[in-house]
Amino acid sequence: MDPSTVPAPDRLRLTGRFGDRVAEPALRAGSAAAAAGVVLLLLWIAATVVNQSGAAVGQFGLGFLLHQRWDPVHGIYGALDDILGTLVSSLIALALATPLAIAISVYLTELAPPSVRRPVAILVELLAAIPSVILGLWGILVLGPFLADDLEPLLRSAFGWLPIFGSSPSPFGVLNAALILTIMTVPIVTTVTREMCAATPPELKDAAYALGATRAEMVTMVVLPGARRGILAGAILGLGRALGEAIAVTQVIGNADQFRVSLFAPGGTLAGQIAAQYQSANPGLGQSAVMYLALILLASSVIVNGAARLIVARAARRSGSA
Amino acid sequence: MRVRRFRLSAATILAALGLAACGSAGGGFAGLEGAGSTLVAPLLNVWQPEYARSGGVTVSYDPIGSGGGIEQITARTVDFGASDAPMTPAQARACGACVEIPWALAATDVAYHVGGVPNRLRFSGPVLAAIWTGAITRWNAPALERLNPGVHLPPTRIVPIHRTDGSGDTFAFSDYLSKVSPSFATAIGHATTVNWPGGIGAAGNAGVGGALAGTNGSIAYIAIAYVLANHFDYGLIENAAGRFPVPGLPSISAAAAALTAVPHSGRGGISLTDPPATAPGAYPISTFTYVIVPRASRRGRVIVRFIDWAVTRGQRSGPALDFAPLPRRIVAADRAAAAAIR
Repeated sequence: MDPSTVPAPDRLRLTGRFGDRVAEPALRAGSAAAAAGVVLLLLWIAATVVNQSGAAVGQFGLGFLLHQRWDPVHGIYGALDDILGTLVSSLIALALATPLAIAISVYLTELAPPSVRRPVAILVELLAAIPSVILGLWGILVLGPFLADDLEPLLRSAFGWLPIFGSSPSPFGVLNAALILTIMTVPIVTTVTREMCAATPPELKDAAYALGATRAEMVTMVVLPGARRGILAGAILGLGRALGEAIAVTQVIGNADQFRVSLFAPGGTLAGQIAAQYQSANPGLGQSAVMYLALILLASSVIVNGAARLIVARAARRSGSA
Repeated sequence: MRVRRFRLSAATILAALGLAACGSAGGGFAGLEGAGSTLVAPLLNVWQPEYARSGGVTVSYDPIGSGGGIEQITARTVDFGASDAPMTPAQARACGACVEIPWALAATDVAYHVGGVPNRLRFSGPVLAAIWTGAITRWNAPALERLNPGVHLPPTRIVPIHRTDGSGDTFAFSDYLSKVSPSFATAIGHATTVNWPGGIGAAGNAGVGGALAGTNGSIAYIAIAYVLANHFDYGLIENAAGRFPVPGLPSISAAAAALTAVPHSGRGGISLTDPPATAPGAYPISTFTYVIVPRASRRGRVIVRFIDWAVTRGQRSGPALDFAPLPRRIVAADRAAAAAIR
């Protein structure tokens, strides 16, 4: 473009005295205030959680993380059952969602006919737009009965000697919650993975073909290794989503006070326990213990999202320098 | 044209904001706002239009659970809280100058969903305690077979269902089990939220109903109105006289009639569970449900009028929903307590 047609910054400034004196400082101040507001809000929320959980932190210390009982009658509170329930349901969701997301991404970037790619990609992303409460309802009405009547009896008759399949089938349980979380995390992991697969330099793919690689070999030796970090980052973002989900999980997990090894048994999660208890906890220590749960959840979410961002940033730097 | 349309919408938004502000602040809004117990919610649904028809103000009600009701009135975000459990001493301290007034009389039923098992199975208090503590795990347990001779019971696993939100039904049920089972009293105790050693949890009576309907082998404690509305199978529970009264108006009223003394108005709860053997027709898990209001507030006079109506005229709507009318002595104590509100 001819440089003379592009207005220089100086010339823009000359367009009006009003703009000079008022609009620009106003814009500057307004946008800065908006940005500062978000940062302050975040700090405010964190400070509230830290402040309100203070009594429980002082009373129970780090032992709270390892104590199992949640007993308002006797003033005993511990988070271990909820921590275990959160970890197990989220990690199962991740273990199921990641391979699914990789398969979908490879299909969409390498195998699908172009007319199919966009519609399917949009539909996968739409999955993330389903409100979680509706997904939870589906879990109650459709997935729960299917698990209790079909899948869980089948798993139990085949692998019942494994403790994780060792209890009687139930429509409400950790497995139901893990599958609902899988559905929620698939679009998140897929979106990141697909971008990374699509970013594979065509020269590398052509080179692989030129060396006589089949399509399968090209995918496993060129596309997937290149997308490795993206897949990892997507999986961690998905984990963050799964850790914090409250509504859909409480709808289907059965909200037991105890953690059991069997996936068919009901359990509880941090987010679910907070949602169930925050309005009715005993004043004082009870409410503070709920805020301690919130503190654990907040800290783990910050760590998980921070890790994902770090990995994405490093991946971007590598592909940038390559 | 464009400008005018914008102005119109701006005016609408401003008006809407104004209305919302009035509603939340309770300043210009003439009605009453309440929150709490899900047990009493069906009755309030009927009271709302009836009270308006009889010249009263609009009453809005948010069934968030008894614990939530106490929380909200403590924070003074509502005009009244409703709870099926009386406030604990700590809650009463936090609430400041609050009065709790029994304004409805109902029961917590034990309902179950087991394929091939008839309605009105018999239970005893200790057996219920054993089911909820996990000591009895199968429907054909000897203790259940002894109580139900001639009934074929399947070996299905029992899934006890409990409330996850702070709940007056949990309070009444655990209060009852604590009275009939010393081991339950020491291991678990009674409160609006207790540490259940097993089973599955659900939020609100409606949530419990959903879990019950969806789980074969399940058993739940649930407000009587929800049992009848959903046609759940319900149990008959042995009372202190060794009888198995059908949960319903006569047996609930019998439990209330067995009260020997009405406690000082406006303070402390009245436990109706496990009534003495001198009341052979009394249902053992009957419960008062309370309205909790500040002793003094700007809406005091509006609140007094509503409570006075609820414990007198309002009681007539109860029986259709399985709320028994309040005994006369309680009504008199309630009106005296309400009259002291400023």
